[in-house]
Amino acid sequence: MGVDDVPLDDKAKRMRDLLSSFYSPDPSMSSPDTTSSSSKRTTLDDINSSSFDPDQYMNLLVQKSNLERLLQRHVEMAAEIKNLDTDLQMLVYENYNKFISATDTIKRMNSNIVGMESNMEQLLEKIMSVQSRSDGVNTSLFEKREHVEKLHRTRNLLRKVQFIYDLPARLGKCIKSEAYADAVRFYTGAMPIFKAYGDSSFQDCKRASEEAMAIIIKNLEGKLFSDSESIQTRAEAAVLLKKLDFPMESLKARLLDKLAQSLADLQLNTEEISNASVDPKDLSQEEKSQLIKLSQGVVTKHFEAIEEYVKKRICSTELLHVLRIIWTDVLLMDEVLDEAALPNYSLEAAKVAVKQYVASTFSRLLHDISDSLTRVHVKQKEGMREYSLQTALEASKKAVLQGSMDVLLDFRQIIEDNLELLVQLKPLIIDLVQEGFQDFFGALDDHFLLLSGGNNSVSQDQGFVEGTQVDKAFAGLVLVLAQLSVFIEQTAIPKITEEIAASFSGGGARGYEHGPAFVPGEICRIFRSAGEKFLHLYVNMRTQRISLLLKKRFTTPNWVKHKEPREVHMFVDLFLQELEATGCEVKQILPEGLRRHRRNDSNGSTNSSRSNPLREEKLSRSSTQRARSQLLETHLAKLFKQKIEIFTKVEYTQESVVTTVVKLCLKSLQEFVRLQTFNRSGFQQIQLDIQFLRTPVKEIVEDQAVIDFLLDEVIVNASERCLDPIPLEPPILDRLIQAKLAKTRDQNPVTP
Amino acid sequence: MQGTSSGIGYGLKYQARCISDVKADTDHTSFLTGTLSLKEENEVHLIRLSSGGNELICEGLFSHPNEIWDLASCPFDQRIFSTVYSTGEAYGAAIWQIPELYGELNSPQLERITSLDAHVGKIKCVLWWPSGRNDKLISIDEETLFLWSLDCSKKVAQVQSQESAGMLHNLSGGAWDPHDMNAVAAISESATQFWDLRTMKKTNSIERAHIRNIDYNPKKKHILVTAEDESGIHIWDLRKPKVPIQELPGHAHWTWAVKCNPEQDRLILSAGTDSTVNLWLASPSTSDEFTAESLLDSPTRRIDPLLSSYSDYEDSVYGIAWSSREPWIFASLSYDGRVVVETVKPLLSKK
Repeated sequence: MGVDDVPLDDKAKRMRDLLSSFYSPDPSMSSPDTTSSSSKRTTLDDINSSSFDPDQYMNLLVQKSNLERLLQRHVEMAAEIKNLDTDLQMLVYENYNKFISATDTIKRMNSNIVGMESNMEQLLEKIMSVQSRSDGVNTSLFEKREHVEKLHRTRNLLRKVQFIYDLPARLGKCIKSEAYADAVRFYTGAMPIFKAYGDSSFQDCKRASEEAMAIIIKNLEGKLFSDSESIQTRAEAAVLLKKLDFPMESLKARLLDKLAQSLADLQLNTEEISNASVDPKDLSQEEKSQLIKLSQGVVTKHFEAIEEYVKKRICSTELLHVLRIIWTDVLLMDEVLDEAALPNYSLEAAKVAVKQYVASTFSRLLHDISDSLTRVHVKQKEGMREYSLQTALEASKKAVLQGSMDVLLDFRQIIEDNLELLVQLKPLIIDLVQEGFQDFFGALDDHFLLLSGGNNSVSQDQGFVEGTQVDKAFAGLVLVLAQLSVFIEQTAIPKITEEIAASFSGGGARGYEHGPAFVPGEICRIFRSAGEKFLHLYVNMRTQRISLLLKKRFTTPNWVKHKEPREVHMFVDLFLQELEATGCEVKQILPEGLRRHRRNDSNGSTNSSRSNPLREEKLSRSSTQRARSQLLETHLAKLFKQKIEIFTKVEYTQESVVTTVVKLCLKSLQEFVRLQTFNRSGFQQIQLDIQFLRTPVKEIVEDQAVIDFLLDEVIVNASERCLDPIPLEPPILDRLIQAKLAKTRDQNPVTP
Repeated sequence: MQGTSSGIGYGLKYQARCISDVKADTDHTSFLTGTLSLKEENEVHLIRLSSGGNELICEGLFSHPNEIWDLASCPFDQRIFSTVYSTGEAYGAAIWQIPELYGELNSPQLERITSLDAHVGKIKCVLWWPSGRNDKLISIDEETLFLWSLDCSKKVAQVQSQESAGMLHNLSGGAWDPHDMNAVAAISESATQFWDLRTMKKTNSIERAHIRNIDYNPKKKHILVTAEDESGIHIWDLRKPKVPIQELPGHAHWTWAVKCNPEQDRLILSAGTDSTVNLWLASPSTSDEFTAESLLDSPTRRIDPLLSSYSDYEDSVYGIAWSSREPWIFASLSYDGRVVVETVKPLLSKK
């Protein structure tokens, strides 16, 4: 054995093992009564058992072994005892060391605190003296301060009185210089004083200033109603009048009258032009071109206003309204000036405006959808569970479908309007809408990709999402995207296509050689592939996490020196936990698939392999009887089996996704096992873990045969990589599993 | 996409992981492969493709003392190769010489030239410089990188230098740059590290976790290919180690190995644990002129990079090797010990 000359760190490790086994909850669990039950299987480890009977053990040893073996046993035991002794000594020594250092520390702390008390007292004393001095200063200065304050108040009062007396003169000055705003400000400032003392001391002053104010009001009124003044000054005058509590009602009525009149004037203006130029030919060329320029200027201004307008969120009726106003104007002008070709000119301008309108509508739609998606994101980050994936999916579905339907409705209103301008634009609009949808879905796809974070080669030109982009999309969002893509492909696109066919057919302004701008087939294809991609991404993200878990599990321990299995390893719990989380997410998003029993309906070759009698028999047997003969059976079964299709296509159902995740993980498990070499106990541990996994995993998947196959594969591979592949006895296996089940039940008694 | 099964098969007795092209054999297309059996007696097979190209012949069958985890043929002497083996508990590496055969098969004793004994950890692989005669050899274990100077005639290998990659890095493999005798790439848990053998210092790294396998492009300098567990295959330009030039989807399960074709710089072969071997054609943007515009116009001509998928395997495929003599031929080895040699010529002529 050579226990004597183990290197030091080996010793330390051993010590740790000893300690951990000492503190583990129920050490007798793994090998409870091996000594009494079977006299054959006595191993060194039994000494550690609680029910160890030294006499019996001695008898057994003496009876069974010859002298040589006994001697050898003696040497071994001596070495071990020595070893334990040193361990013990070392532990005691270390404990003592720590105790001494702790005492030292406490001593030091104590001495430090003693010094502190006197310091604190000193500090308190000083603070007290500072306080008393500051009080002294305060009281000595108090009187003077009072006096100063009083003087200040008097001075303020005097200043106010002075102001009142000066007011009439000041107002007069303001009238002269037409600084009405200042005048109003002064007057309103003095108003409260006049109200309080106007009948007594300041009577004269009040009268004089009121007179001045009457003049000001008159002047302001005059300003308000004079056309020659600029609009700004008129507005100012109105504001000032309001400040002076002038009766606004009558003012408004008069003003409106005036405005109506001027509007009539404006309309007349165009007619005036026609009147003035009864025969336009009479006009000189120069004058005409000037007129044309002027009218075109008017139209451009109009459309510029529209563009501004479009930037805000408006609906089509508003746009229509505005267009109609412009068109009537244009027609009016056209009657007079047909050389200006105003209709054509405005047609061009309208084209631009409509284009812009369409573009902005679509970009807004995209924004809405991304908003409803990223909301999940943010909420999830904040750890709020109530905004579940399901609601996110529903919201974004609605955003897509309802949004595009609204957009279509909007455009239909525009198209169905009989305004001449729009009738001419109809083919263009139709093309624009079709093109718009095509581009929109392309952009939506790109946006999805960006959200999923799966593709770092997506170009960065989509500026508007950069703020929302996060390096790592979380798995749930990817799943939502996958299902949303399917929804778009299967529901939204056909509906939109239908709608477009009904009311937006026959565009063709850009020539038929290009075909229709909106190609639903292509978009469907894009989203189908996108959906698949997202689904794969989701599966990948989920398996990656579990893979990491498995990797840690398999690369950390030294499998060649593994100890006898005591219980199901806790990685199984973590594994099941991850699966549960996946299942929870999937349940929110994906539809439930038909639960198919693949054992009966799979395709030809694999079918025969799975239903071979050996396997059926094995499955029907109770799990307790299984373990022993399992190895042989699985080997045999494998011989008769054809290649099993592990990696089938993922479908959009809960079961399919979960099954795929499980399959991938079990395959990973198998690969990790293949990379290790096990001793007997290591193999038994794997056997135990896998046996435990069997039931819960099979509950959540749709294709149990494949899972069985994969689990068996793991055990077979472990046995192949094992130096001494003797499986655990079925009763022990069963007991360990039952113990684990009982433990889980204890931990969460709510769930049955 | 399913490749028609034109493959020529050959069966090993036990499970196996590694296969290597015998590059120095200029007269025949041959491969070396070794078995991985914990309890049985392991074998090294020297396989030769018959002159007609329709049969695999066993040219030599030698017993090997332990299970073989890595095997590499010497690129300048066809009778020399290296193995990494495990006794179950400990790992070792050795250089072997195939004895003169004189046409007989029954000379099962391999001649051990030397053992690479300086390792303490789990040895992962032994690397030869792929581009010609070089008296140096690299071996990588979990923590350390060793540079050996090998003298085959005197049968000695001496450690020339060694450097630890750090305790936590857990090296798992590597590749030697065919364009630069002093550059080697080593895969660690969290990144791929690039070492300069003269100074034994790290020069560069690609920060990417879970890489399984790596191969330099033998035709283009600075270009290399990595295989990852879940996220497929990536092509990198060493001058821009932040972002891969191209991504290929890889396999349904882990992508275990990648190999660049020795002649066609765009052809990449990959093997996966989903029991398939995939043949890829990388987009031509792997050239030096890689810039943003190649990314921008790529969506318009998004051709499927997967040329063919060979799925006629019963188990995970861990070993693949291009033949350097006939670069349109490759050999693949699945875990159940089946060697399949395929030709990609019909696919290439189509292009």
